[in-house]
Amino acid sequence: MAVALLAALALGGADSPTGGEPGVRAFVLSNVYIASSGDAGACPVMADGGLERYFKLLSPEERAQYASAKDPSKIEQSKRMPLERAMNDHYVFLRVAIRGGGPGGAMPQAILPEGFDPNGTPTPQDALAIGALNGFPEGRGRLAFAKLTVAYSSCTNPEDFPELGEGFATYNGKIAPGIDLDGKRGKEDFTGMTGAKGVDNQLWRAVGCVKMFRESGEPRIAKKTFISARAPTIIELRGVDDPLNDDDVTVNVYAAADAVTRDGRGEALARASFALDPDTSLRSTTHGRIRDGVLTTDPVDLRINYKEQIIDSPRQFRDARIVAKLMPDGSVEGSIYGYYTLASYWDSIEHMTQNGANLTEVSCAGVKQAIDRLADGYKDPATGRYTAISAAFDFFGVRAFIIHPERQASAQ
Amino acid sequence: MKRFRRPTLKQALTALSLALAAGTAMIGAQAAWPDDEAGDPVMVRKLTEAQYRNAIADIFGPDIKVVGRFEPDLRVDGLLAVGASAVSVTPGGFEQYEAIARGIADQVTDDAHRARLVGCAPGPADRNGARCAAAFLSKTGFKLYRRPLTAAEIKQFTATTAASAKELGSFQAGLSAVLAGMLSSPDFLFRIDQPDKDGKAVDAWAKASRLSFLLWDTTPDAELLAAAASGKLDTPEGLAKQTDRLIASPRFKDGIRAFFTDMLQLDGIDNLSKDVLIFPAYTNSVADAMREQTLRTITYLLVDEDRDYRDLFTARKIAMTRLLGPIYDIPVAKEGWYIHEFPEGDPRTGLLTHASMLALHSHPGRTSPTLRGKAMRETLLCQQVPSPPANVNFAVVQDVNNPTLRTTRARLLAHLDDEQCSTCHKVTDPLGLGLEQFDGAGQFRTRENGELIDVTGAFEASGFDGAAQLGRLFAESSQANACLVRTAWKYARGREPHGADSRDLAMLGADFADKGHRMGALFRSIALDPDFYALVPGGAAQMAAAGATHKEDTP
Repeated sequence: MAVALLAALALGGADSPTGGEPGVRAFVLSNVYIASSGDAGACPVMADGGLERYFKLLSPEERAQYASAKDPSKIEQSKRMPLERAMNDHYVFLRVAIRGGGPGGAMPQAILPEGFDPNGTPTPQDALAIGALNGFPEGRGRLAFAKLTVAYSSCTNPEDFPELGEGFATYNGKIAPGIDLDGKRGKEDFTGMTGAKGVDNQLWRAVGCVKMFRESGEPRIAKKTFISARAPTIIELRGVDDPLNDDDVTVNVYAAADAVTRDGRGEALARASFALDPDTSLRSTTHGRIRDGVLTTDPVDLRINYKEQIIDSPRQFRDARIVAKLMPDGSVEGSIYGYYTLASYWDSIEHMTQNGANLTEVSCAGVKQAIDRLADGYKDPATGRYTAISAAFDFFGVRAFIIHPERQASAQ
Repeated sequence: MKRFRRPTLKQALTALSLALAAGTAMIGAQAAWPDDEAGDPVMVRKLTEAQYRNAIADIFGPDIKVVGRFEPDLRVDGLLAVGASAVSVTPGGFEQYEAIARGIADQVTDDAHRARLVGCAPGPADRNGARCAAAFLSKTGFKLYRRPLTAAEIKQFTATTAASAKELGSFQAGLSAVLAGMLSSPDFLFRIDQPDKDGKAVDAWAKASRLSFLLWDTTPDAELLAAAASGKLDTPEGLAKQTDRLIASPRFKDGIRAFFTDMLQLDGIDNLSKDVLIFPAYTNSVADAMREQTLRTITYLLVDEDRDYRDLFTARKIAMTRLLGPIYDIPVAKEGWYIHEFPEGDPRTGLLTHASMLALHSHPGRTSPTLRGKAMRETLLCQQVPSPPANVNFAVVQDVNNPTLRTTRARLLAHLDDEQCSTCHKVTDPLGLGLEQFDGAGQFRTRENGELIDVTGAFEASGFDGAAQLGRLFAESSQANACLVRTAWKYARGREPHGADSRDLAMLGADFADKGHRMGALFRSIALDPDFYALVPGGAAQMAAAGATHKEDTP
């Protein structure tokens, strides 16, 4: 008893005697981000963004109009917008607003199908119908920008613009974050960050040289960044007898209906209360064990929210394992290792829109070609193609309270 | 020790008159003063900021915004209500009043509100709007001044409206200027009591004000003014009827909130700051919620539930909202405010463990058993604790990283080696150390720098172990009980009791006990006590003399 009490004090000693249900610990995640290998020298050439690739495809005369005076191989910062307009014109990228002139109010209003409610939630079929009415190529038209627009570009249909993905640089380092997901040692496997062999992380091989992913995966940056804060993920441990060592705890992963708020330091506010998202597809349960304050779960399929600015695309992991260190101050730092389904990963890239991809120097076509080529999980027997890619994501979280629906109902 | 001499009423009002004259000259209105025949005012109390805001909301509606900074209210003898009798407005403070008044007057007369609040305009039958102005200013002046305007006042205001309208180019602008002048007038900003015909008590209008500001913390409503006008308020039955009506109203909660805000000095939360690196869960919004929590808890227990005042120190029920969940380390399922109950045996029990009290009487980055103990002694027990001398060496106490003195208790004990300090610390610290399981933001903890916190101590010859037990001792303390009665009396009267008041206080205390220590009963007894309305023997002169001995800083 005394040992358990001291252990509890060591792991978040500010707990009051009434700090929630006994044996329950929950954490709200302020950021879930692609884990970075951190080895700066592993990418001698960074992957081109879509705009950078288009720039290289121009004739020398055309390129000179947009080139930096200091380094003609680079785009002049002030010329990025004109170059993007030229790219849009060249490839006939299209986008129309479903309502209200679209984001920024500068987009043509779409001709809408009869009976379509512009204030409702449009479906992919609606997008195709709108595309057909607005001069899109046959069978083209995807929802974009938080479903406010219908678009056709290298991000909605990368297969139509293969030249924008040519020469896309992938990661060829030897080290990558992750674990051995398949229990095999293959030639594609990495050495883990602490020397473990057989690490499966083909997603990092695909995008590990994309500037945006490398930067956002830096722990120093990631810890200060809130991602999907308006729809955060919560990890709940139940049946915790000893927060340092416990052979069996139940691990629930939920989507919260409340946003993470910042504390006085600008970090995630600890010990706040969160109601749960009613969408049960965003909930998973597995078991795990705690050794020396580190939680490791059994494999589980996860579907976790990813809502950030214009992106609303839940991440789906198959065969995922959570490994998390329960920190002395009551916070948590950990990782999700598993197979990220190509469909859900691509959906998040597609949501970026062409303009967003250009701004962040991401090549949608390059990413799409790379993940299709490097995918290594869950082969579709019908097509013979893999449908998921091994991946490693890291997260930060702080203590939280979950308001379960039955408790919320009784409280009301 | 620094002292100040409170000005006599005449001096203060003369100064105000000059300030008002300067101010109103700019807006075309003139100061309004009681007619000579009404006699000298017997007592003057400035409206607190809260009372000002409440009055404006009641008279014009809650959609009229009161925008601007008020000069801070003055706390004397532990209460703003006593400070309000000190009657002081600086020239800067007057400018603030005037700016606020203009803002209100502009809103009242603007297109969005004119039809409802003014209700008339110049027309063929009232070409220059004189009748409209007279009707509006008479009606509104009655509410603002809490007495009927004299014929001379109405005539003067109406004439000034016409002159201002001509100068400013519109009737509404003229009306707005005069209304701003009325809002800047001492008759609105101060409760100026007049004697009744016999000169033994205040008149009926002043009775209505005393009653309303005591029980609702706002200006008298129409029914109360009507009772004053009809003379019913001058009869014991009429007074009792109005008192009971005000206490039975939901607005009695406003009066209780105002009283405890003053008594517990919860206005201090407005100026409270914490080191967010040490207390990241503390924000200004959280601080506001802490104060609201205490006030809601008090009104829930003492008004809604009509419970014994002493229960405040032992109640496990507390008002809660989601914003405070991280401070109290509890899940909060409900949106909005609700009553949370901590389980039996929880250290979070009673008023002493409210985050508002704990945070308010702490330093920005650490607790202070001394400040907490001092606050308990002064506000809850009505005891005087001297301020520390200027040359105290706080180095030992402030060094929270001292490797050998790891707890606040240990550091304070080391500090007590200084004999000069130990006398007062022996009075304050034992009580404050009982609350050490709550940090400077009011969050529970069991250890400080890894060391278990000792929360044992003694109060009134009884030992305690922790805040819950200390709260129980406060509930059983006759001193705490007597202090509440004394503070309520001071709050109502706006002054410290003198020797002659001791009998009155003793009777009030006995009556409070007989009636089960209920706040409604206490305020009813105060409101029905003829002395509440009686003129102080010797009149204003004695009161001014008494005020001259007040110390600026509580010793």
